[in-house]
Amino acid sequence: MRQLRRFLAVACAVLGLPALAFAQQTATITGQVTSVGGLPLASAQVYLVGMNIGGLTQSDGTYSLTVPAAQATGQQATITARLIGYKQDSARITLAAGHITQDFRLTSSPVQLQEVVVTALGQVQKKSQLGTAVQEVSSEQLNSTHAQNVINQLDGKVAGVTITGAGTQGGSTHIVIRGSNSVNGDNQPLFIVDGVPASNTDILGGGSANGGHDFGSVISDLNPDDIATITVLKGPNAAALYGSRAANGVVLITTKHGAATGGQIQTQLSTSLTWDKPSILPKYQNEYGQGAGGMFKFVDGAGGGIQDFNDQSYGPRLSGQLIDQFTGAQQPWVAHPNNVYSYFNTGQTFDGTLAFSGGTDRANARISLGAQNVNGYIPNNTFRKLTGSLSGAVKVGQHLSANANIQVINNKGHNQPGVGYNTGVLEQFIWFGRQVDLAPLKARQYQADGSLFNWNYNFHNNPYYLQYDNPITTDRNNVIASASATWQFNDWLNASLVSGVNSWNEPVNENFAQGNINYADPNYDGGFNLYQLSNTEQNSRLTLNADRDLTSRLALNASAGAARDYSEYSEKSQRTAGISVPGIYNVSNAAITPTLGQDLRRQQINSVYGSASLTWDNWWTVEGTARNDWSSTLPKATNSYFYPSFNTSIILTNALPGLKSNVLSYLKLRGGIARVGAAADPYSLLTTYNGQSDKFGSLPQYTLSNNIANANLKPELTTSTEVGAEMEFFNGRGSLDMSWYNKSTKNQVINLTVAPSSGFSQTAINAGEIQNKGIEALVTVVPVQLASGFQWTSTFNFARNKSKVVSLYRGLDRYRLGGAWSLDNEARVGESYGDLYGYALRRDSATGELLLRGGLPQKAKTRTVLGNIQPDWVGGWNNEFRYKNVSLSALLDIHRGGSVFSISNMFGQYSGVFRETLRGRENDWDDPGIVLKGIDQSTGAANATRVTAEQYFQSLFEIHEPFIYDDSYIKLRELRVGFNFPQRWAGYLHASSASIAFVGRNLWTHTKLPNIDPEFSYTTGNVQGMEFAALPNPKSFGVNLRITP
Amino acid sequence: MTMKTIRLATTVTAGFALAATVAACNTDLTGLNQDPNNPTDAPAGALFTNAVNSAVGRWLGGGYSLRATEFTSQQIAEAQYPDEDRYARLQGSDTDGWFTGPYTNDLEDLRKIIAKGQATKDAGVYGPAMVMQSWDFGYLTDTWGDVPYTDALMGDSTGGSLAPKYDTQKSIYTGLFTALSNAVKAMSGGQVNGLAGADPLYGGDLGEWEKFANSLHARYAMRIVNVDPATADKELKAAFSAPGGVFTSNADNALLAWPGDGVNDNPWADNFKTRDDHRMSKVLMDILVANKDPRTGIFAQPVADSSLYPGGYGGMPNGLSTSAAGTYLAVASRPGAIFWPGNTSAGFYGSAANLATPSYLMTYAELSFIKAEAAERSMGGLSPSQAKGFYNDAITASLEQWGVTDPAAISAFLAQPGIVFQGNGSGGAGDPGLKQIALQKWVALFTDGGQAWFEWRRTCQPSAVVAGPAATISFVPRRYEYSTTEGTVNEANLDAAIADQGPDNFGTRVWWDTKPTVAPTYVSASVCAGNNGK
Repeated sequence: MRQLRRFLAVACAVLGLPALAFAQQTATITGQVTSVGGLPLASAQVYLVGMNIGGLTQSDGTYSLTVPAAQATGQQATITARLIGYKQDSARITLAAGHITQDFRLTSSPVQLQEVVVTALGQVQKKSQLGTAVQEVSSEQLNSTHAQNVINQLDGKVAGVTITGAGTQGGSTHIVIRGSNSVNGDNQPLFIVDGVPASNTDILGGGSANGGHDFGSVISDLNPDDIATITVLKGPNAAALYGSRAANGVVLITTKHGAATGGQIQTQLSTSLTWDKPSILPKYQNEYGQGAGGMFKFVDGAGGGIQDFNDQSYGPRLSGQLIDQFTGAQQPWVAHPNNVYSYFNTGQTFDGTLAFSGGTDRANARISLGAQNVNGYIPNNTFRKLTGSLSGAVKVGQHLSANANIQVINNKGHNQPGVGYNTGVLEQFIWFGRQVDLAPLKARQYQADGSLFNWNYNFHNNPYYLQYDNPITTDRNNVIASASATWQFNDWLNASLVSGVNSWNEPVNENFAQGNINYADPNYDGGFNLYQLSNTEQNSRLTLNADRDLTSRLALNASAGAARDYSEYSEKSQRTAGISVPGIYNVSNAAITPTLGQDLRRQQINSVYGSASLTWDNWWTVEGTARNDWSSTLPKATNSYFYPSFNTSIILTNALPGLKSNVLSYLKLRGGIARVGAAADPYSLLTTYNGQSDKFGSLPQYTLSNNIANANLKPELTTSTEVGAEMEFFNGRGSLDMSWYNKSTKNQVINLTVAPSSGFSQTAINAGEIQNKGIEALVTVVPVQLASGFQWTSTFNFARNKSKVVSLYRGLDRYRLGGAWSLDNEARVGESYGDLYGYALRRDSATGELLLRGGLPQKAKTRTVLGNIQPDWVGGWNNEFRYKNVSLSALLDIHRGGSVFSISNMFGQYSGVFRETLRGRENDWDDPGIVLKGIDQSTGAANATRVTAEQYFQSLFEIHEPFIYDDSYIKLRELRVGFNFPQRWAGYLHASSASIAFVGRNLWTHTKLPNIDPEFSYTTGNVQGMEFAALPNPKSFGVNLRITP
Repeated sequence: MTMKTIRLATTVTAGFALAATVAACNTDLTGLNQDPNNPTDAPAGALFTNAVNSAVGRWLGGGYSLRATEFTSQQIAEAQYPDEDRYARLQGSDTDGWFTGPYTNDLEDLRKIIAKGQATKDAGVYGPAMVMQSWDFGYLTDTWGDVPYTDALMGDSTGGSLAPKYDTQKSIYTGLFTALSNAVKAMSGGQVNGLAGADPLYGGDLGEWEKFANSLHARYAMRIVNVDPATADKELKAAFSAPGGVFTSNADNALLAWPGDGVNDNPWADNFKTRDDHRMSKVLMDILVANKDPRTGIFAQPVADSSLYPGGYGGMPNGLSTSAAGTYLAVASRPGAIFWPGNTSAGFYGSAANLATPSYLMTYAELSFIKAEAAERSMGGLSPSQAKGFYNDAITASLEQWGVTDPAAISAFLAQPGIVFQGNGSGGAGDPGLKQIALQKWVALFTDGGQAWFEWRRTCQPSAVVAGPAATISFVPRRYEYSTTEGTVNEANLDAAIADQGPDNFGTRVWWDTKPTVAPTYVSASVCAGNNGK
């Protein structure tokens, strides 16, 4: 600590700082800041209004301010104490030389309607003057429990934001603010970390229902303990200054910085250890084993025996009889009810962050080191993350201040599990023979002769062999750095230059051992897919800011600036299904000439922007913003486009003081209109030919792209209007913040599907309109607050978004977003975004009864809309109870409505392993059978044909209707019991508080979707609402020790 | 304001104006959007190689062939998950890619090659591309009926249609005859530079391309014989008399020799690397075994337990339920070892050299069967007396093509009672020779499931081809369902085609299939049923 002080002193000296002034004949003000319950409050800010004198409280809540004699002339002054999470309090004192005592007792106020918040372009504004919807999440709220991905920790906490987490370690988390705007873009908000744009796009496009690995995105790299606040700018109104990337809103992440501590060092330590298990796994039947038609005998597991190639469980009844199995001849045929469950371990996640910070009123610094160590809940899956963060700020002389931040993150994933068909870990367990004993498969993956050992050789890999001998590794280095310099011309005008870069690179190695059914050519000794990915995003901007009281009642806040944003993405790949020497996954070892890929995408946006806001008498604010972008991805004629926005807010309780009462203490109304847009993807203007690295023998091959380029593209335009109200009741005991919005996106850059018979599959056009209307509300109440220190705080957020596809393109009434197993996810004119379009069961048009053939259901002749993925509403309800040093909080996350197509359930029934498939075979494999209610198609009479369970469940294949489920769910997202250690313990550590907490995530789920976690995501792309073998989100519980400065 | 403030404000304003100018007037922006990855033009040869690879890989590949038409032709059956063999996974959404892929991939690229060749007046470039297009379009129309033809492939041209109209099959056939005649006429005039080594079929030999074009012309002429015998006769004559002639030996066969380098492999061998779910059909194996066909051991592999069948070869019925099909896996013949790549996930079958086994686009054997049928029917300028010779040529060519070169074995086979040609020269119903020609042609078309299925629809031979017990419909499909993508984005034109042709289902007959009972080889409605659109 002493060293830090010395360091800072030296640093200041080197930088030419003048020595700190020492006061002489002075007034000294001392006191203590405590909560209503008597708890000392550390780090509260105490300052003399208008005098540039202030300081922070110590760990025991005490403070001391010194007023120079010249300023202590017996006049009246206002002294204010404030701390985030509490209502600020002020007192009038007489400033005269000598000693003055002033204590404060602050009322806890989880409601922060009048704080300052960070808004677009990093401007700090008073929330009371904002005409737009902005919600801030503090470090404390963010870190109440631990999730692996920081975005998951926003879950249920921000109104109007829909977050879908991934079960995969380090996997994707999908986030959408106020509904999807675009049929082509990914609808993800723009992420800004300390002023630097960063992308939440999937590495390698993420997984899909058809397979792949979910490697997540770079946003999940950030260490949540280094984050000071996350501010969500909800939609275009709040984000208009970000122009063409703001249509989907902005998530501003501000990392922690040092504070003026009078040179004292402050320590932050946070460690947590959690244990993770899959939150939901399928429920299996344990009556029938592998096979078909009630028969099974193992010879070679590939068709040599009786149904032994078969991976379904419509075989003989599991009643202990002796049958040849993969483990040997004449083995007892018994169920292994735990054979899937025991594959999953109790995973472990360790997180640790240690940070030191400190500073004077001239310079400050913070350094932090973090480590995350995840052992996944599937075997041999680990994820290790190291983060380093350094930030510093210094004031040089009267005019210049500078600061710099750097986050360096390394991230190593090992055997991140596959998702979807073919590659999914869970996919195998949607077929796993119910008699299969996992123990021998775990014990060995190879036979004596070196060949593979498994329960089935036809369709599956031994699940342990997959995890132990097919290494999938990623190693990402991510640097987010920014530096800024501000020149303060005078007390109202400054200019700042901010430059930042986010650069990451990542090799992804997917290695496949010999015999890997999906990826390795059986003639060779394995295969590999190697990728080298890198991305750089550079952003610089120069802004002039003015903040001036023009008259005693009119204040001006204005800025103008210019920015340049350049990004470059590069992807190289080498893939082959054949290598020469086993275990060497190197291009030099390729036995089959590898397929090579190379892709480089560059784009740039140049902008000028400005904003001005006028505030009258502290109650009426009018703000206008304007921005012009020039995008490299659009044709020269249309690459310049202008975005204006306008908003206003009125604090009615200030304008009409008569309104103010004990009941209603604050009322603000706001409203605004904004226009933002989005440019096209790079290289969309010219149709190209695509070469293939695979030669035909020695002959090169080229093919014309299937996309007709459009040389006349225009930018997308989103227009959004919004009104809101903010209210505070009972002196901060209750608050309501609500918004109504209506936004519409036109001129969408749509990759329009054209008739393939035209020779092309898509053409980029500007067309269509999607509307999103919605309401969101955040309610906070403190139902109980006792002098004894007991407090109950309840927070509820709610958002309802109605999307409507107003138009697409002349003559086009539907647009396919994606699909799987003949079911498409579509945008349809007149409907909400995301219709599930597939086959229903065929029914008699007169009676509505099933039309059966041979006793079995049939697919309808044509496809129809079977559901829509949009939820009716989403919400979160958090309750926190505090008593002295103990707190208990629980967050419920609620997702109401919306449909999902569950491919897992379709195959789990086809394969006869899910519990539902016992129907019809209660007595034996074909007894009593199933006589479906319906009409026989050929006779027109009521059906009397008895079919077996096997015939029935397999006849449902690719009939989607039975597998469209209501995706409503309620999750106990977070549960936390915390204890604060006595203050003096924290004092020993130069910290303000020390606490220990027992935390849990996803401990309970209520859902109508059987067998599968209703919350799934293996891509941040637009094709949502189709689930297949996504790993369930972890259910975790653990302990968290935290020391905060 | 003081002077100092004003000066400061001026400086700052100037600074920002400069910054804004720099930001706005960056002339590099447009340059930045030039694709560094892909060119805006490519050589015709590289396009041609890819188009041939793509087209052959589809029509004779692991999907359209091995998972669809081999089942609807019933040369092969599915022993594991028989959804396709039961026609359950042959819906418009399942077969979509085979309808759309040709247009967006090979056909469009071939159109670009033709344009390039015509621009340089090089028949050596555009001639072969026109022939390949005609080969390609044949599979499209014979599988689905009316398809976009005249309006198609023009999506990127000024005024070109993004939703092409569907042409009647009759007019497509007229177009194919014209295109092939024009291509031959152009190629017989010689070439400028040609495709040379970029032509993976004939190495740029235009004489061979003329023969292929004329033989293909004969294929299409014979296909329409039931519905329009006069045109068939006329076009057969045109094919046989065109410059360059037709195939005269197996050396002329249109075949694609796969490099077999692990990247571009024979598509069947590639499939069998990891899938062991195909077994020979009972229909084909019964015919081969009954005639002691020397191709039996080439087309099929013996079953492990040789006591099951005389000679050790046997097939399984098509269209069984999953559990019934599974029981045949160990007791029905696998497709021949020449299609297997050695190491597979199911065991060692065949050899790695088979990755280079060629795919046949059209053979001298098929051409000879066409000639035999034409002769027996007294069409195309040929006479019944020539029929037996062409028939024997065809069988001999097929045996030799598949590696049966021992003259004694060939003559022994030709002497088999079921094989000896029994044509009576009537060319009408009851002419046993026509049935023999149809049946042996169907056998010789093995590996080309599409053509085998088309020929069965035209001739009703072999008559053992009927829907399996677990099939979702009671008859063998007469066509496939239209692309669901086209249904979405080209709905009006597709609806017009359906109105013209009949409901979009398995039962509707395409134009040349509308008079099945006219076929002299027709057996009965129960065998050659469709549901005529019901």
